[in-house]
Amino acid sequence: MTARADFLARIRGEMAKTRGLFPAAAAERPARPRERLDVLRRELIERWPQSLERFRVEFERVAGVFHRVASASEVPAVLEGICRAGGAHSVVTWATPRLGIDAGPTLAAAGIAVHAMPATVPPLEERRRLREVIAHAEVGVTGAELAIAETGTLVLRSAAGQPRSTSLLPACHVALFDRAALVETLEQVGIALEAWHEGVPPEGQGAVINFITGPSRTADIELTLTRGVHGPKEVHAIFVDAGLRAGG
Amino acid sequence: MTASPRVALMITCLADLFYPEIGERIVRLLRRLGVTVTLPAGQTCCGLPLFNSGFHADAAAVARRTVAIFAGAEAVVVPSGSCAWMVKHEYPGLLAGGSDAAAARQLAGRTWEFSQYLVRALGRTAFETDTSERVAYHDSCHLLRGLHESESPRALLRNLQGAEVVDLPGSDECCGFGGSFSVRLPEVSTAILDRKLANVEASGARCVVACDAGCLMQMKGGLGRRSSGVRAVHLAELLDRERGGVR
Amino acid sequence: MSEPLITTPLRERAQQALGDRFLHEALDIATTKFIDLRREAFGDFPQGEGLRDRARAIKEATLQQLDRHLERLIDNVERLGGHVHFATTADEARDVILDIARRTGARMAVKSKSMATEEIHLNDALAAAGVTPVETDLGEYIIQLAHERPSHIIAPAIHKTKGQVAELFARELKREVAADPEVLTRIARAELREKFLQADLGITGANFAVADTGTVVLVTNEGNGRMVTSLPRVHVAVMGVEKVVPSMTDLMVFLSVLAKSATGQKLSVYTTLVQGPRRAHELEGPDEFHLVLLDNGRIAQIGGALREALYCLRCGACLNVCPVYRQIGGHAYGYTYPGPIGILLTAMLNGTRSVKELAHASSLCGACADACPVRIDIPKMLIELRKEVDEAKLAPWPERVVFKAFARLLRLPALYRLGGPLGRLLQRPFVRGGRIRALPLFFGHWTRTRDLPPVAARTFQERWTALEREIR
Repeated sequence: MTARADFLARIRGEMAKTRGLFPAAAAERPARPRERLDVLRRELIERWPQSLERFRVEFERVAGVFHRVASASEVPAVLEGICRAGGAHSVVTWATPRLGIDAGPTLAAAGIAVHAMPATVPPLEERRRLREVIAHAEVGVTGAELAIAETGTLVLRSAAGQPRSTSLLPACHVALFDRAALVETLEQVGIALEAWHEGVPPEGQGAVINFITGPSRTADIELTLTRGVHGPKEVHAIFVDAGLRAGG
Repeated sequence: MTASPRVALMITCLADLFYPEIGERIVRLLRRLGVTVTLPAGQTCCGLPLFNSGFHADAAAVARRTVAIFAGAEAVVVPSGSCAWMVKHEYPGLLAGGSDAAAARQLAGRTWEFSQYLVRALGRTAFETDTSERVAYHDSCHLLRGLHESESPRALLRNLQGAEVVDLPGSDECCGFGGSFSVRLPEVSTAILDRKLANVEASGARCVVACDAGCLMQMKGGLGRRSSGVRAVHLAELLDRERGGVR
Repeated sequence: MSEPLITTPLRERAQQALGDRFLHEALDIATTKFIDLRREAFGDFPQGEGLRDRARAIKEATLQQLDRHLERLIDNVERLGGHVHFATTADEARDVILDIARRTGARMAVKSKSMATEEIHLNDALAAAGVTPVETDLGEYIIQLAHERPSHIIAPAIHKTKGQVAELFARELKREVAADPEVLTRIARAELREKFLQADLGITGANFAVADTGTVVLVTNEGNGRMVTSLPRVHVAVMGVEKVVPSMTDLMVFLSVLAKSATGQKLSVYTTLVQGPRRAHELEGPDEFHLVLLDNGRIAQIGGALREALYCLRCGACLNVCPVYRQIGGHAYGYTYPGPIGILLTAMLNGTRSVKELAHASSLCGACADACPVRIDIPKMLIELRKEVDEAKLAPWPERVVFKAFARLLRLPALYRLGGPLGRLLQRPFVRGGRIRALPLFFGHWTRTRDLPPVAARTFQERWTALEREIR
């Protein structure tokens, strides 16, 4: 096994042989990403209806199913509808405080079990049990940090109470979002990513950020498109007009 | 009264040996357009085959010779896009740092592929043809991607009175010539050619037009083995006279 | 030297591929589809050209400071509790991964598609060490069952018809299977789901690694990349050193052109940013994260003739447009990476000798350079490789003799001019009806399938004097 110093020394040795093919610079990063993101968010909030419409078009283009409700209180009913349509009996969700809604009562009344993920990490036995629950759930409900209008993409961050598998193992993934999540372009996402990694990460932050653009798919057999390969076969996005966090 | 333009013709080895009629057409046409044509003596080949096969020192020696032969030419016209590319794109690099570096750059700046010369240098696009066939244009790779030229030949065809121009599906796909590639991997070269000719036949054209002697040799070669009766010609062979011009 | 040299002549391998009707049809359908999808994606995307220029510039700029970017990447990965390993050769890379598997007691490894792991022949080594490698990307899963190697950089099983896939699955599962992609996909999903949940070790490649944050980026469509990096206890990512990018801002430039070039999608279904092992407060995720930085011939090209090939994003666009690839498919190339970029990568990984024929598996049409999202000038480097082959005297000596004679001829106009009368003399027995249809020896390579024009009755230069007089 090569040591770090030797490996890098070899690289430096090769680099010294040439000035390169042409003068070139990497992309310019924002100097103060968090500030820049705040400014961006204020600009974006002015244009949210257009962004939402663009998001809907792109999301549907990649076979996402779009829903819109006036307030968070209407979400459980939509979830119930999705569960019934798919014959789902078991739902896993992000931890309730993370999600901004509690669909437990509504769905329980319809005979659908709801398992909210814990906000802290339980002991090993409980984690194993949860893994089983998640593996058998048919619907996974999460929030979304960002909704990218340019591509119809949902961006989810893993965190305490926001495990990765909720949006991955169940065959149906439902993401809740509101106008604060809307961004227009991939370039703007870059600003968010720079901001998220600036300074000390917030409490409970996880190791993974997932960009999700529609249901899982492959065209590996004769370039024929099929969905639901390993990840979800269906992706729903529910936009809540009035916002998800109580009081905005 | 402006002096009549003067061009030196770089005939190219393939046109010289196998398709002199193309050179003849070009010379007669240019003459009728008021252009004086010279043929600098001692021409052989631009050296592209040597260059493409990696014999760069030899290609440089040929380049040096060619630069000397064409020194002092106001403009050089070439019937093949690939040869024009060689001179314009590769000669300066091959002769960089040598005593003829400046001459090579100069030559590169004054060299034109034939259709480029007509359209971009002379500004002439309106011609007549005696043929009433359906014609389709094949983009030769070096002209299209090397010299970024897809418009001049099309402008000439679009404005060509007499012929009916149809679209060629996959016009930008290679014909499979590639110089020595055509005999190093002859089966692959032929398979690529078959695809090209199938497209030509599917387009309904009776005549496929190109601006490169290599492509023409490959396509004519394949067409000779097919019963479709489609012919392959150089663009110059369709430009019989300028419209409204003297017969 | 990464792979053993192929001894079957390229021409033979190509002929075999050309004779395969299934392959021909599969290639035609797949490459045509990919070309159309890419054209549509960029057609709708006017910023595309500018972004390609920027992507190219970022790759070049990164190489110009590669050591510093890699150092930041390493420091950041380690700061987050990950481990970084340095593999100069394929052997070293395999050893470090086997070591990790052994130390963590892994018995099964689930793999997300990674050409880097194909390049180092990892699966065989894992199997030999008692760790079952399970490919989870559908295309890779298929070729694993078939004991074949990938034939395309992003669609490994594109050479297989659905009937062939059904047969493979039937043999593996010992039951009847319908030749329907939906059915086949569902079967793969069910078979592999269990493996994801049971595996001890997850192995991936990395499309990018962001130096600023220590983040490894995976671009996938199926979800297996996410499974492999979330469910097993240990995650190992194998990555060529050239994949590092400076910042998240740079990353977005690449993401905006990568999927469009590969499959015509605006983005792949999943772009997964993995920043080290799971945090203490996370329910899921690997406890250990390892990044294996792979040299295997790359570093030597930083100052070498193939430097530009280090820009490659592994999108496969050049394969789809290559007239040669479209006819012969990926296996005929004989090594891990096929197609135009594959020839350059083969030279990088295995040396000039490995491409003495492959360097000529191109008509130099330039469609590859046109399609490349980072505008790699592949034809230029193919010519460069041909030059290296000549200089190393690897070409058969008759070829050298012919080219050298030709070169001499071109500088002796008097001799060149003899070509006219001499050609006309020698060709006389072969000219029929104004064409030459058959020639002996080497020239038969042309005439077997194509006519040759005869040398003109008078060459242009022979006609010139009379012509000049006429038009005066």
